[in-house]
Amino acid sequence: MNTFPLAPLILVFPVIGILFNGLIGRRFVTANRKTGERWSGWFATSMVIAAFIVSLSLFGSEISNGYHAVIVPLFTWISIPAANFYVPWALQIDTLSVTMMLVVTGVGALIHIYAIGYMHGDPNYSRFFAYFNLFIFFMLILVSANNYLMTFVGWEGVGLCSYLLISFWWDRVDENGVPMNANAGRKAFIVNRVGDFAVIIAMTMLFWTFGTLDYEPVFERAVEFFVEGRMVTIGAATFSIDAIVTIVTALFLLGVAGKSAQIPLYIWLPDAMAGPTPVSALIHAATMVTAGVFLIVRSNVLYELARISDVQFFGTISSPELVAYTGAFTALLAALIAFTQWDIKKVLAYSTISQLGFMVAAAGMGAYVAAMFHLVAHAFFKALLFLGSGSVIHGMEHGHHEVAHGHGDDGFDPQDMRTMGGLRHRMPVTFVVYMIGALALAGIVPFAGFWSKDEILAHSQRHVFLVFLALIIAAVGTAFYVGRQLQLTFFGKPRSEAADHAHESPWIMTVPLMVLAFLTTIGGLMNMPFFTRQISEAHDGHPEGIWLALEAWLEHSIHSFEYAVEGVVNLPKTPVVLSPLVAGLSTVLAILGLAVGFMIYRRNPKTAEDPDPLQRTPIWWLSILPLNTFYMKGVVPAFNRFAHWLAFPFEWNFWHDFVHNNLIRDTFVSFANFLANVIDTEGVDGVVNGTGKVTRRLSQALGVLQTGYVRTYALSVFLGAVALIIYFLFLAR
Amino acid sequence: MPSSVTIEWYVALSVILFTMGALGVLLRRNAIIIFMSVELMLNSANLLFVAFSRYLSDLNGQVLVFFVITVAAAEVAVGLALIVVIFRTRHSINIDDVNLLKG
Repeated sequence: MNTFPLAPLILVFPVIGILFNGLIGRRFVTANRKTGERWSGWFATSMVIAAFIVSLSLFGSEISNGYHAVIVPLFTWISIPAANFYVPWALQIDTLSVTMMLVVTGVGALIHIYAIGYMHGDPNYSRFFAYFNLFIFFMLILVSANNYLMTFVGWEGVGLCSYLLISFWWDRVDENGVPMNANAGRKAFIVNRVGDFAVIIAMTMLFWTFGTLDYEPVFERAVEFFVEGRMVTIGAATFSIDAIVTIVTALFLLGVAGKSAQIPLYIWLPDAMAGPTPVSALIHAATMVTAGVFLIVRSNVLYELARISDVQFFGTISSPELVAYTGAFTALLAALIAFTQWDIKKVLAYSTISQLGFMVAAAGMGAYVAAMFHLVAHAFFKALLFLGSGSVIHGMEHGHHEVAHGHGDDGFDPQDMRTMGGLRHRMPVTFVVYMIGALALAGIVPFAGFWSKDEILAHSQRHVFLVFLALIIAAVGTAFYVGRQLQLTFFGKPRSEAADHAHESPWIMTVPLMVLAFLTTIGGLMNMPFFTRQISEAHDGHPEGIWLALEAWLEHSIHSFEYAVEGVVNLPKTPVVLSPLVAGLSTVLAILGLAVGFMIYRRNPKTAEDPDPLQRTPIWWLSILPLNTFYMKGVVPAFNRFAHWLAFPFEWNFWHDFVHNNLIRDTFVSFANFLANVIDTEGVDGVVNGTGKVTRRLSQALGVLQTGYVRTYALSVFLGAVALIIYFLFLAR
Repeated sequence: MPSSVTIEWYVALSVILFTMGALGVLLRRNAIIIFMSVELMLNSANLLFVAFSRYLSDLNGQVLVFFVITVAAAEVAVGLALIVVIFRTRHSINIDDVNLLKG
């Protein structure tokens, strides 16, 4: 008994939610605020829970089906028989997509529940849930697609939802009247567009090379072509299949950099914190931003072929290595930037970029299972941290509301960690769960983050030392900023009256936090070694000697494992046994980082106005690293100037005035004038009038012959007769 | 036919008659006179037909003369009718007065 035919329901339920909240939810809320909110929020949430239940049943079916991928066709989307090109709308239910579905709907459902409380009182309550369901819908399309184009639909759709939800409070302006939330949404959308462009080119190349966009045929043909060493002609150029996989995977990397906020396109994610905190938790931490990692893991066969491709960047760096370096460097840079942030959510935003860097680096090094492991673990603990920070912000806002007695808009920032402090007494539940999430992020045993991060570190230590170095420094940095944040937020004494009067959030917000904290605590079990046979070095990295739950589960979707056994690709093996050296080192360094963070921020700052203790040290130079300054002072004005140049000198003066008015219009007008005044009046009229004129002249000339005297006619007849006679007599002989 | 009057005499007479007729047509202005001159030209031709018919012993010439006489009679009938009509409208048969088609 399997439930695969039910798979389309995971898409149907969110659609029902969208329709309910999009069409009639608002009426419920405006009619009766309290029950309306309950209906709107719980309806959307129940749809996600329903999708989660379907995902669970698919999980069971996958197990009973022997982990084989099942394609559930819905309909044919694009059909071009002449080119033998078909794009179906079909769901690929395999272990990878089911994993993602469970994360998206599971974490999504918890965040929906949390949002019911968090969004309480918002004037656009039902619109928020309509967008939230829309996001779940597109995210499920993205992960369940059986072809690149359908994934791309989800990819664009979640980008749209990201834009809609970042600028959810689009009418908020900063002190200069700049609509910063709307701008943040636009920034996210436009920056992602750069990456999407690369994905489109990559898909076009895949279609051209393999004649299909379906995942399984693309991978099969890629391996087949690769083994043959086939050449591919695109336009005037001919590429080897080695070049094709390298170019395609490198283009995917650019798309991943956009979606998963990697260098150089990570700049949109910190600004995306302008959205409501549940959005930051669901979209910008747990699910959407992991789509890039998912794309790499999904395309693992292409990446493994690119690893052994003849065509490499600078002759030595293969495309997946480029992915690994990008991820590692992003992880390091973002972890360092997080040192200098005051906004509780901005710290988490840079932390997300950093952790995504870990995942991307893992995927680039061929540790696909480790990447997915960290993805799932990160979804738990980062959703927990974001929701926890939302709870803190919520508490601070209420505390401020109580103190300010309705003075309202006095520029108080409830997200600034300098105004916090001592919240562990005011918000005990939030404190405990936040602590769990933070320790997981820092990589402390036994929380999920330790296990997943350690797997990545162990893999990098074995295979790419440079990446290992970057990641271990990033891990220390992570521990440091986590310690700093915990100290500033929860320990010490309150540095503002608002913090002193902060309250714990309602149960509807704390219960999802507790569930996530539980998942964060036990999440490491997902991929811990379960002893089935003896552990031996010979079986290291191979699931025969040792059984890792997540690896045994995912290896059925990651075809590189099979191709590695066949000897087609050279998949780097991930150590399955805890490496004492790496685990010990990372734990010691994490504790050290946390301790330093706690110590430095224990005494200072004492008040909200105090500078950061690090402000006089060279470490503070990192504050220039966010590159916001660079982008805002350098890139944006340059782009504006370019846009202005495009708009005015180029578009208006050159294109409009010169090309349109002078070249096209004036040429056409003079041509029309030539036709009207020369060809028509002179030519056509001349022919007509000339015919008349010639006829008249001719008739006048001939009229002279008509004298009116009969004698003249008689004489001409006579002379004619004489002429005839002369002709016949003398000339006709 | 006495042999002293040879075919040359008939031809010469015919030429004289034809020339007189032609000159009459070209020089006179009275329509009746012009008409009579035309008759003279026709009859000079008839004379020549008859003379050659006799000279060549071929009756075809004499047959043609009858045709010419018939056509001349018809022509006279139409022509005189026209002259009568012209006279009635213009009170003149001077052909120089009839010049409406002058170009």
